[in-house]
Amino acid sequence: MTFLDWFAMHGPSYLDGLAQTVFVALWASLGALLLGIALTLLRLAGGHWGAAFVGGYVQVLRNIPVLLPIYLIYFGLPTLGLFWSAVVCGGIALIMQNAAFITEIFRGSIKAIDRVQFDATRSLGLSPWTTFRRVTLPQLLVYSLPALRNQAVLLLKDTSLLSVITVAEVTMQAKVLTERTASAYHAFLVAAILYLAIVALSEMAFRIAERRVRWR
Amino acid sequence: MTSTLWILTQGAAVSLFLAFVGAIGGTAFALLLNVAAFSKIGLLRGFYHTYIYFARGIPLLVQALLIFYALPAFGILIGPLTAGGLVLTLYIGAMFAEVFRGGVLAIPRTLWDSTRSLGLPPASVLRKVVVPLVLRYTLPSYINVCVLTIKASSVLSVISVWELTLAAREIVERTLDVFPVMIAASCFYFVMCFSIDRLGRHVEHRLALKGFSGERP
Repeated sequence: MTFLDWFAMHGPSYLDGLAQTVFVALWASLGALLLGIALTLLRLAGGHWGAAFVGGYVQVLRNIPVLLPIYLIYFGLPTLGLFWSAVVCGGIALIMQNAAFITEIFRGSIKAIDRVQFDATRSLGLSPWTTFRRVTLPQLLVYSLPALRNQAVLLLKDTSLLSVITVAEVTMQAKVLTERTASAYHAFLVAAILYLAIVALSEMAFRIAERRVRWR
Repeated sequence: MTSTLWILTQGAAVSLFLAFVGAIGGTAFALLLNVAAFSKIGLLRGFYHTYIYFARGIPLLVQALLIFYALPAFGILIGPLTAGGLVLTLYIGAMFAEVFRGGVLAIPRTLWDSTRSLGLPPASVLRKVVVPLVLRYTLPSYINVCVLTIKASSVLSVISVWELTLAAREIVERTLDVFPVMIAASCFYFVMCFSIDRLGRHVEHRLALKGFSGERP
């Protein structure tokens, strides 16, 4: 049977998977961004202990594979009595992992902000929180946009790993289809093409958004 | 606990071996890809860019599943470890290729002009200009991809390659002792990745040429 027939027959399950992939990717990237901002705040304002904690968190989570936190949270939370769904567990793992990378990105971006601006805020008498909210954070986000775009695409690809904890996204659907239809590679080939398409689409969307943000 | 640690150590050895194979194979493959990337034949350059787009756009897990399930359908019967090494070589090779290509593109244009005005033969250009500079430009990114190789080897556990992640998962499924086992496995990975990172920085310091590595002379 041709690819078109095969895709017409099994298309809906792929679309379900695609919806789940995009859903997890969007919420996980939002959560990771927020957690990254919170960790950056902790590093800037938390004194030696705060900076040490954030440094340790970033180093640990950057040097372990993405699968381990996924397994740890999915298999570990029930032993603590928390029976959360696979999507939530996977989302938490992805958020924790990507927040570490985003905090590193922010660390580089903060160095790009001119020191003069902080002198200006001090001479204006702005509080540290106001400085962060009005000076640091906007410039941080604008300077990090290319790296954040990269990280978002990586997160999109990492959602495929959630298939190991039975989250019904594209890879999982492909696995189930392989088992149901005994087709060797059609299922995964279609999944691969789908990933290529959404990666290309999201990169394009990010670049358009980047161009519309005004650069100083 | 000691038997768990012994099993995890064996798994870590397999992971390290897989990462080593992936890194060496990937480097060799990347050098081949770069010959295509910088060739005069447009078709080869197009092939390079298409390959990079596919290898970096498809998640590693999907690539691994594709190769693991598709090759037998075409008659090539290979075991999980070989398939894992092959997938890792293809995936990491693409990442190394981009690193090397970036390094070559970072060589200042004036140096190309000087080699031409000096009339250096291509072999000498490679040996005296390209290799030393690209080595120093790309060392941080190269080490980064090496660390990525170790992390990528854990994904191969899904196609039943027995290495550290699969060993940890098997122990957890048997003993339901999630946190200690998973944290122990994380420690193994952390030690492996962190040491390679530090080793890379040390080599970077030792190899630095004043004025050519981008830092202040």
